[in-house]
Amino acid sequence: MTPGHLLLIAAVAMFFGLLGGRGAPRLWLTAMLVGGIAALLAAIQVFVSGAQWDWRSEFSVCGEPLHLRLDAMSAVFIALLGALGGAGSVYSCEYWSDKAHPRSARAGRMWWSAQLLSLGLVLLSSNGLHFLIAWELYAVSSYFLITLDRQKREVRAAGWLYLAASHVAGLFLFAFFAMLAGRTGGWDLGPMRDHAELAPLFWLALFGFGIKAGMFPLHVWLPSAHANAPSHVSAIMSGVSIKVGIYGLVRFSGWLVVPAAAGWVVAVLGVISAVLGVAFALGQHDLKRLLAYHSIENIGIILIGLGFAMIAAGHGNAAWGRLALAGALLHVWNHGLFKSLLFLGAGSVVHATGTREMSLLGGLWRAMPWTAGLFALGAAAICGLPPLNGFVSEWLVYLGLFDSLIAHSAAARAAVPAVVLLAMTGALALACFIKACGVVFLGAARTNASARAHECGPMMRGPMLALAGSCVAIGLAPLVFWPAVARAASAWNPAWAGLEAPPSLGTIGVANVALTVIAIAAVSLLWRRTRKNGLRRALTWDCGYAAPSARMQYTAGSFAGIITEWFAWILRPLRHRQIPDGAFPADASFEEHTPETVLEQLIEPAGAGALQVAMVARRLQHGRLQAYLLYIVLGLAALAAVVLFGGGR
Amino acid sequence: MTAFLEIILRLAVWLALAPLLPGILNKTKAWVAGRRGPPVLQLYYDLARLWRKSVVLSTLASPGFIAGPAVAWVALAAAALLVPLGPAGGALSFKGDVLLLVYLLAAARFCTAWAALEAGSSFEGMGAAREVSYAVLSEAALITAVLSLSVQSGSVTLGTMLTPPVGAGAALLAAGLFAVLLAENCRVPFDDPNTHLELTMIHEAMALDHSGPPLAVILHGASMKLLLFLVLLSEAVLPIRQLPAFTASAALAGTVLSVTVGVGLVESLLARFSFRRVPLLLTTAFLLCLFALLLAWKGGAQ
Repeated sequence: MTPGHLLLIAAVAMFFGLLGGRGAPRLWLTAMLVGGIAALLAAIQVFVSGAQWDWRSEFSVCGEPLHLRLDAMSAVFIALLGALGGAGSVYSCEYWSDKAHPRSARAGRMWWSAQLLSLGLVLLSSNGLHFLIAWELYAVSSYFLITLDRQKREVRAAGWLYLAASHVAGLFLFAFFAMLAGRTGGWDLGPMRDHAELAPLFWLALFGFGIKAGMFPLHVWLPSAHANAPSHVSAIMSGVSIKVGIYGLVRFSGWLVVPAAAGWVVAVLGVISAVLGVAFALGQHDLKRLLAYHSIENIGIILIGLGFAMIAAGHGNAAWGRLALAGALLHVWNHGLFKSLLFLGAGSVVHATGTREMSLLGGLWRAMPWTAGLFALGAAAICGLPPLNGFVSEWLVYLGLFDSLIAHSAAARAAVPAVVLLAMTGALALACFIKACGVVFLGAARTNASARAHECGPMMRGPMLALAGSCVAIGLAPLVFWPAVARAASAWNPAWAGLEAPPSLGTIGVANVALTVIAIAAVSLLWRRTRKNGLRRALTWDCGYAAPSARMQYTAGSFAGIITEWFAWILRPLRHRQIPDGAFPADASFEEHTPETVLEQLIEPAGAGALQVAMVARRLQHGRLQAYLLYIVLGLAALAAVVLFGGGR
Repeated sequence: MTAFLEIILRLAVWLALAPLLPGILNKTKAWVAGRRGPPVLQLYYDLARLWRKSVVLSTLASPGFIAGPAVAWVALAAAALLVPLGPAGGALSFKGDVLLLVYLLAAARFCTAWAALEAGSSFEGMGAAREVSYAVLSEAALITAVLSLSVQSGSVTLGTMLTPPVGAGAALLAAGLFAVLLAENCRVPFDDPNTHLELTMIHEAMALDHSGPPLAVILHGASMKLLLFLVLLSEAVLPIRQLPAFTASAALAGTVLSVTVGVGLVESLLARFSFRRVPLLLTTAFLLCLFALLLAWKGGAQ
């Protein structure tokens, strides 16, 4: 079967799920799985053969013939969509079942299919008009998925913010595609590397796709949308939807000529997103909000790679740019895999305890050992620790940066701060995930809700296991996945065709395998020794204190306190405290909350200001007919003046 | 087969020699204070005793409490194997191995901090929080030192990048890396390994609830990390690897010994800083490495 046939199967399956999935969950699940696997196979075919699939229809839709194209670059994203779409579908059957959510489960299935279908169309479409149509469909179906639980006020607020941000992004993209079509004389998209005059359009694309990707400071919609959506929706949003923003940037920075400054701007925005994303994550007390800020961090890492690749492409296709691009593309996959794993893990915590508030959880490993273990694996992967997949892609990006520095290239000056801040980002992410894992899964249960938790069922555990397995696989055998990345890199820049894997990538794989085997052996050896010597259970040592309680444990806020203090200039934490006072102090309390600074300090005041200006303008409309007639007369007079003195004909 | 034997031999050297260092350190401190002090081999005795002892496990601890120290130990041993040993080079040498080294240290930190949080104790929470927070700054300093070495040598491979700068660059790098060594190994002035007050501990606080074989693994891992940083510091600053094989080995051993004594002297003459001043000191270390990088850059541009 050709990729075309497979994609047709995928599309038909998704369409079937969209129409027939409301009442029949099992049938819907089958259709979703068939569709996901077919899409994945199509992508694999493109990676193996290296030939792109290109199809134009005889008929036209909305006045334009359909033009679909699956090259290695879109295949990277289609593969991710197929894999995560399938995993999320299975997960949702238990997590958002008809029984637990009779109002929204049916609609949820329909919108899920609609979202996957429209995302696929966005990734395949090679016609500006159809790209925009699919983009809007995807934005709207995402909105309905985020607000599935719309009885809750904060869910509605998050959905509204998402919709507003989506439309701002849409506005920029309308301008981008319209001007592109205007200047090239057609909606058809494809490589236009010889049209130097199109370069300034990249800024429009950067804004539009940047909002969607959640690049700092355009990320304002992302944390609340990811936190309030059902967890399988958060997983696909974080794994695929925001990557579509990256897809747009990668796609059009490859097809169009970009301005000379574009690579620098993308790299700088990447560094800012990485560091501030993780800084904000450290300030969070809501598990899913914390994960959402980590998406911003990882988008930053991807953008660093892409930015340096763009700089390299602008300076004679320097070799170090390939490594940076390869790292960025592999990180698209890696982040998609481990972040969905983490969101699904968080979902199973929410499912078991009914809360996302970390200060109400604790000690969950006992009731949910599978979730705890898989979440820990995801956490280690996102921190970029060997032997998992996050390390491989970050290592490639680092190698690109180091090579550009050693070559004393044009980007060397930028590479120094990028490397230092990337290393700090890694250490900060480690601190943040130790905090999240420790507070949620370790220690003692802080409330009854977490004491009564239960492990999730096989339908939720299966997808998590599959995702964890792929995280391990990419870490242990990176060379297997290299051809996909290499083909995508040559689709981005034909000068980099036939990209060989760096020789040490295979060594990294071998080292990772050895590390895994030895670590397992060491753990079992130590465990056996401990058992042999004898094991006794006792209370945790608390300096001789006899009755420690769960409330005396270190909290998320206190754990992150040292670092959030360093970043207080941007985090602006709100603190309410009542300090104990007098000889017999009554109540004392302390509460800390990290708001979304950019939204509350920048966007909201700007919005309020715009509204005030609008209120002034509104006085012009008051219902008095005489004044309206005066407006008309004045308007006509102004027009007459323009015609008479303006020199126009 | 020879390669396999070589790795085993190297590992044996690392494992056997590492526990010597804390003994030398303590002897130095005792000498300055005019005491006789514990024997140099004290840690070997402690490890042997702990390995045979039974374990008291917190009621809250999960299997990760035991797995954490084991994985951290493996990560540290793997990192140690990457470090070139004077003329013998590293066990495994490839482009970008230095990044694997940095991230293996991070992996060890992840596992230690995870195991610390298992017991649900505030003291261990404090220790882990301090460890992971200060590591942000010391990792920045460490990667800057790596950058300066790699600019200096034009390489990202540990085997070739440890060709040190001369003059001011070497001095700056030495000072910066020495501060990182003290911070990463929880020595005075960042942390006091002899303190008995849980509130002021970093590394010790994380191991409060560990006992028996897991504690032995933690202690041995810590001594291996100390040796790793000492070797790295010596080779990054002194041109040991250009010497003939026997002289180089002797020079490496001599430098490691004298830096160890230096750490002991610092520990005897300085008091632990208050925690507020730790970030300042680490930022200074970062700046020292940054200046070394700028010097290397200037040198390379000529």
